[in-house]
Amino acid sequence: MKLRALLTQPATLGLLLAVASGVLLSEWFFAQAQDELLAERQERAVVMQAMALADQVAAVEAAAPDSSAPRLAALSRAWSARFSDIVAIRVVRSADAQFLASTDPRDVAPLPRQLAREEKPLYDLGQELRANVETNAAEGVFRKKQIDVARLDRTRLRVAVPYAVGGQVLGFVQVEQRVAAPALPPATGRVAVAIAAPIALFLLAAAAAWRRGRTAPPGRPWAQFGVALLLLGAALYGEARDGLAELGARHERFAVELAQQYTAAKREFESATQALAVKAVTDNRWDVDDYQRPRAIIGADGSVDRIALADELGARATRVTRGLWGNAALSVLVLGFVAFGYARRLRLTLVEHKIAYRYVAPAILGMLVLVFFPFIYGVTLSFTDTTLFNENLPLRELWVGLKNYIVILGDFQVIRGTEGGWVVNYQNFYWTLFITIAWTVCNVTIGVSLGLLLALALNTKGLRFTNVYRVLLILPWAIPNYITALTWRGMFHKQYGVINQVIQMFGGEPVSWFDGVFTSFLTGIATNGWLSFPFMMVITLGGLQSIPQDAYEAARVEGASRWQQFRHITLPYLRPTLIPAIIISVVWTFNMFNIIYLVSGGEPAGSNEILITQAYKIAFEKYQYGYAAAYSVVIFMILLVYGVFQNRVTRATEAIA
Amino acid sequence: MKANRLKTILGSARVWTVLVLAAWAVQVQAAATTLTVWHAYRGKEKAAFEKVVANYNKQAAAKGVEATTLAVPYDAYADKITAAVPRGKGPDVFIFAQDRLGGWVEGGSTVEPIGFFLDDKTRNQFLPSMLEAMTYRNTVYGLPLNYKSITLIYNKKLVKVPPKSSGELVKLAKSLTDAAAGRFGLAYAYNDYYYHAALQNAFGGRAFDPGPKPVLNAPQNIAAMKLLLKWIRQDAILPAEPSTALITSLFNDGKAAMVFSGPWFLGEVAPGLDYGLAPLPTIDEAGGKPMRPWLTIEGVYVAMSSRHKEAAYDLAKYLVSEEAGLVLAVEGRQLHTNKAVYTHKAVADDPVLSAFRKQLDTATPMPNFAEMTVMWSPATTAMNTIVRGAARPEVALEKAQRTVEKDVAALRKGR
Amino acid sequence: MKHVTAGQRRHVALHLALVAFTLLAIYPILWVFTLAFSGGQSLVVVDLPSEPGFVDRLRSVLPWPKTVSLKNFADVLIDEPFGRWLLNSAIVAGATTVLGVFLACTAAYAFSRFRFPGRRTGMMMFLVSQMFPGTLMMVPLFIIIVKWLHLGNTYAGLVIVYAVTAIPFCVWMLKGYFDTIPIEIEESAIMDGATPAMIFFRIILPLAKPAVAVTALFSFMTGWNEFILASIFMEEEVSYTAPVGLRFFVGGFSSQWGYFAAGSIIVSLPVVALFYYLQKYLIAGLTAGGVKG
Repeated sequence: MKLRALLTQPATLGLLLAVASGVLLSEWFFAQAQDELLAERQERAVVMQAMALADQVAAVEAAAPDSSAPRLAALSRAWSARFSDIVAIRVVRSADAQFLASTDPRDVAPLPRQLAREEKPLYDLGQELRANVETNAAEGVFRKKQIDVARLDRTRLRVAVPYAVGGQVLGFVQVEQRVAAPALPPATGRVAVAIAAPIALFLLAAAAAWRRGRTAPPGRPWAQFGVALLLLGAALYGEARDGLAELGARHERFAVELAQQYTAAKREFESATQALAVKAVTDNRWDVDDYQRPRAIIGADGSVDRIALADELGARATRVTRGLWGNAALSVLVLGFVAFGYARRLRLTLVEHKIAYRYVAPAILGMLVLVFFPFIYGVTLSFTDTTLFNENLPLRELWVGLKNYIVILGDFQVIRGTEGGWVVNYQNFYWTLFITIAWTVCNVTIGVSLGLLLALALNTKGLRFTNVYRVLLILPWAIPNYITALTWRGMFHKQYGVINQVIQMFGGEPVSWFDGVFTSFLTGIATNGWLSFPFMMVITLGGLQSIPQDAYEAARVEGASRWQQFRHITLPYLRPTLIPAIIISVVWTFNMFNIIYLVSGGEPAGSNEILITQAYKIAFEKYQYGYAAAYSVVIFMILLVYGVFQNRVTRATEAIA
Repeated sequence: MKANRLKTILGSARVWTVLVLAAWAVQVQAAATTLTVWHAYRGKEKAAFEKVVANYNKQAAAKGVEATTLAVPYDAYADKITAAVPRGKGPDVFIFAQDRLGGWVEGGSTVEPIGFFLDDKTRNQFLPSMLEAMTYRNTVYGLPLNYKSITLIYNKKLVKVPPKSSGELVKLAKSLTDAAAGRFGLAYAYNDYYYHAALQNAFGGRAFDPGPKPVLNAPQNIAAMKLLLKWIRQDAILPAEPSTALITSLFNDGKAAMVFSGPWFLGEVAPGLDYGLAPLPTIDEAGGKPMRPWLTIEGVYVAMSSRHKEAAYDLAKYLVSEEAGLVLAVEGRQLHTNKAVYTHKAVADDPVLSAFRKQLDTATPMPNFAEMTVMWSPATTAMNTIVRGAARPEVALEKAQRTVEKDVAALRKGR
Repeated sequence: MKHVTAGQRRHVALHLALVAFTLLAIYPILWVFTLAFSGGQSLVVVDLPSEPGFVDRLRSVLPWPKTVSLKNFADVLIDEPFGRWLLNSAIVAGATTVLGVFLACTAAYAFSRFRFPGRRTGMMMFLVSQMFPGTLMMVPLFIIIVKWLHLGNTYAGLVIVYAVTAIPFCVWMLKGYFDTIPIEIEESAIMDGATPAMIFFRIILPLAKPAVAVTALFSFMTGWNEFILASIFMEEEVSYTAPVGLRFFVGGFSSQWGYFAAGSIIVSLPVVALFYYLQKYLIAGLTAGGVKG
C-alpha cells in the first residue's frame, strides 16, 4: 500500500519520465556523435587513398597523355594489390569522355574507351567536380565541394577526387573501398544504472521522510521536486561524462590509425612514382576535407599533431554538449510539469471538456498542419544563413542564430545627411515599417468608414433598389484584382491617365503620381481603399441585422436623436462583428502584397515598399532565403503584438453584456 | 434461389476477370514510356508546339514512347518548376528561357546536364552563340529552341525609310513628335533594363564582368545613360512613364511611329496596321557601333526528376531539329535556332522571321548566371531614378552597384 | 402625409448620394468593360487633339469603346476550355465553402457556448494564423500536400488549403454573431427536450443567417480567386481552375488585355450571382417579438 502510494505520487512519476527521456535522449546524441566520428574517419581513410592516386594519375597524364592508359592500369593494379581494402579504382578523363582505367571486373573491357551510355553519371560527376573547382577558384571562396563522397552501405565508400594537368581539371579518380565499421559496445549497463539509481534513491528518501512522520505523500511538492532535480542532474551528468570520455578515446584511436595509414600510403606512393616527376611529399596534402583543404592533423612524417587533435575533439564535444544542455533543460521541464501536477490537470481537463474539444478539433488540426508546420519551417530557416547557393547543405552547418534579426532590427541608418539635404534610405527596415503602418492605418480607416457609411445607408428602412446598389457596390471585390489594380495604375499615368485628365479639366496641373513618395503612396491607398470597402460593407450589413429593432423603438420613444441612437445602440451592437473584421482587415492589409506590387511597384526608388514586398524581393530576387524568413518572422511578431494588444483592449472575444 | 444467385455472381466474376486481364494486356502493349513536356506557350505558338509533339509521337510510337504537353501560365511557371522538380514531381522535359539556368544549377536538382548526349552533329546545327546560352560553367544543360530579341518596328505609314544611325533616328523622331497631342516619334520601355541593355551594349557597357563581377557603374554604362537622357530631355522624342501596355496602345493608335520591341509585340499589333521591321540603328555617340540587344534564348531542358532521361533527350533533340523547327517557325512564328531552318523558302521569304534573323548578327545572349536575378531590381530602381531626373547617372548607378555587390557577396559566402 | 414626404425627401437625397458614389465606385470597372467589349487587346489610351478643351477631355475620360464587339468574349470561351476551368473552380470553391463554413460553424459554436480552458488561446491562434506571410510558404505547402498527403492534381488538395485559409475569419465572424444570440433561447429549447444537434440546426443556424451568408461568400471567394497554389498543384490542363486559365492571357512578354478583361468579367459573374442569391439572408434580422417570447 505504502509502496504503491510512493510510486504513484507526481514527483516519482515525473522523475521516472524525466530521467528515462533524458538518459535515452543523451544516449541518442552520443550515438549520433559516434556515428559521425566513424563516418568521418572512414571518409578520411578513403579520401587519402584517392588523393594519393590522383597525384599519381596527374603525373602520368602530364607525362604522356595519349598513352597514359596502360601505365594507369598498372598503377591501379599495384595500388589495389598493396591495399587490400580497395575494391575498385577507376580513372575517367571527363574532358573527352574517356574511360581510362578500371580495376573493377564489372566495367566492360577493353579500356581505354569512350564512356558508354549507361556511364553518363561518371561523365556528369567529372564535369561537376571540374566546375566546382573552377567556381571556387574564380570566386575566391570555398563554397562548392571539390570531392564527391558516396556511401554505398555501412562498410563501403566511394570517393571521387579530381586531378588536374597544367592547371586544368581533366578528370577524376574514383576509389571504392571497404572500411571497417567497428560497433560500439552497447551501453545498456550505463543506461540501466542511470535510470534505476535515481528512482531507487528517490524512493528511499521519500520512504525515509514519510517514516519520520512527515506528511503523507503527496506533500511538500517543492522539496520533492528539489530532491528529484538533484538526482536527475546527477544522472545526466554521469551519463554525459561517460559518453564524452568514450568519444574522446575513440577519436584518439582513429587519429592514430589514420596516421599509420598515411605513412603506408606515402611509402607506396614514393616507390610507385620513382620514375615520374612528382612533387616530393613534404606536407600532408592528402588528408583533406571535402573542399580539398588540408586538415592539418597528421603531419607529413606521419606524426599526429596533438594540439590540433585536441582542438578538433573540443569542437565536436562542444556540439554534443550543446545538445546535452538542451536535453537537460527539456528533462527539467518534464519533471516540473509532472511533479507539480500539471500533467494530471491536463488529462482531467481534456476529459471534462471533451465535447468542446471535439467541436474545435478538425479546424485546429487543419491549421496546425497547414499553417504552423510551414511556420516552424520558416522560423527554423530564419536562424540560418540559407541562400540559393547553399540550400543543399544541412541546416546545422548554416546556423547563425540571431544574426539575421540583429541585421534587420539593428539597422538604424534611416536618414543620412548629404550635401543635397536629408536622404532617406528606403531599404531600411524602419522606413518600410513606417510606410507599412501608415498604409495599414489609412486603408483600414477608409475601408471601415466607407463600408460603415454605405451599410448604414443601405440599411435604411424602405429604401428602394437596395438590391441593385448592393450588387453594384460589391463589384470591386468580385472582379479579380489583377486587372482592376492595373486599371488603377493606368488611371494614374502622368500623360495618358484619366485622373490627370480630370484634374486638367478643372484647370489644375497634371501630377506625376509615381514620382513622389507621398503621391505614390496615395495611389496605393486609393486602389486598396476601393478594393476593401465592399468587404467591410458586407460585414457591417450582416452585423446590423443582429440589432434588435425594439432597442431603436425604445430610444425613439425616449426622444434620442439619430446620432445618439447610432452611438449608443448601433455601434455597441456592431462591435462584436466589426472588431474582429477590423483586426483581420488590419492583418490582411499589413500583408497586402498584390496592390503595392501591381500599382506603384514601390516607386519611387523603393520608397513605397511594404514589409511583405521587401521579404518577397529578398527571397526571390536576392535568393537569401534565411534572411527573408527572418524578415517574415519579424512581420509576424509585429502583427502578433498588435493582435494581443488589440484583443486585450477591446476584449473582442467577449460578447456584449 | 441461392444457387442461381451464386451462379450469376460467379459468371460475372469470370467476365470481370477476363475484362481486367484484357485491359491489363492492352495497357502493357500500349505506351511503355510517357514523357511530360511543360511549356508556357499559348495561342498560335501552343498550337504549333502541340503539332510538333504530335509528329514526334507518330515517329516514337514504334519505340513505345508517348509525349504529352502541359501549358502553364507564365507567372506561375518558374515557381511550379522550382517547387515540383527538386521534389521528384516534375516533367521530363521543359521549355524555359536561359535566364534562370544559373540559379537552378546552383540550387541543384532541377536541370540535368546533357553534355554527355550531345554529339558534334547536334552541336553544329545551331546558330552561333545559341548553345553558349545553354551552358553554365562549361557544362551544357539544355538545347536551344528559339531566340527573341528586340528590333526596330515602325509604322510604314509614318516612316518611309527606317533610320540606320542614331542621328537619323533622332531627326526622324523629332519630326514625328507632338508631345502635347500625345504623339511620339519613338516609344519603347526605356526604363526596363532589358530594353536599355541594347543601348548600353553598343557602348561596350555590361552589367557583369566574367567572374561574375558586377560592374553596373562602368563608364560605358554611364555614357549610355547620358545618351538616353538626351533622347528623353533634349530631343524629347520619348513618352513619359512607358510601360509595355502603353507602348502597344500608342503604336496601335498611330501615336508612336517607331518602337523598339520584339516578336511578342507583333502579336498585339492591331490588324490592318502596316508595320515594317529593321535592325536597330548604330549609335553615333558610341563610334558608330550598332545597338546590341539582349537575346532571350528559350531552351529545352531535361528535368532531373525525369525517370527516362535518355528518352527525354531524344524528344529534346527532335524539338530542335529542322523538321520541328520549320513548323515552329512558320506556324508558331518562333525564331528557331537551327541553321537549316532558314534555308527554307517559307522562312527565308518571311519578312518578320528574316528581320529578326538579321538582328541576330548584332545581338548578344543575355547572361544566364544566378547573380543576374540579383541585379534586376537595383538596376530598375536606378533607371527609374535617372529617367525621372531624381539623381545623376553616376550617383544612381554607383548606388545600384553597391547594392548588387553586397547581395552577390551575401550569396558567395564560403565555408 | 407630412411624414411620408419627409421620408421621401430624405430618401431622394440618399439616393442621389448613393448613385453618385456607386458611379464613382464602378468607374474603374467600366474601363474593364470597355476593354472587354472593344474587341481589341490594347489598353485604352486617352485620345486628345493638340489643344484639348474641356469637352475633349471629358470625352476622353468617359469609358466607352471605340468599337463594340463581342469578339473577346467569344474567343475566350471558344479557344480555351474556359467552361471546363470555370466548372473546376466552381467545384473547388463550392467544396471550400461547404467544408469551411461547416468546420467554422462547429468551432465557433464551441467557442461561443462552451467555456473551456484554451478558449481564448484558440481564438488567438486563429487570428495568429492569418499573420504568417504566405508568399514564402509555398514550398512547405507543396511538400505537405503533394508529397506527404499525395493530394497533388486533385480537388481535395486545393480545397483543404483554401478551407484552412478561410476558416479563421469565418470562426471569428460566426463566434461574434453567435455571441449575440441570447442563451435563453437554447435553454428553453433544452427544457423542451431538444438535442444539441437540433438546437444547432433548427435554432442557431437560422438565427445566424447573416453571418453564415457572409462567411459563405468569403469562403467562396477565397477558393475562387486563388491563383498560385492552383497552378502549382495541378498537373493537367483540364484540371486548372479559372484564375489559372485567366493568367494565360497575361504575363511573360506579351499580354492580351482584351481577353484578360473579358475573362475577368466572366470569372466574376458567378461571384456576383452568389452574392445576389445570398443577399436575402444578409437582411434577415432578428424579429424583436420572437426573441423575447
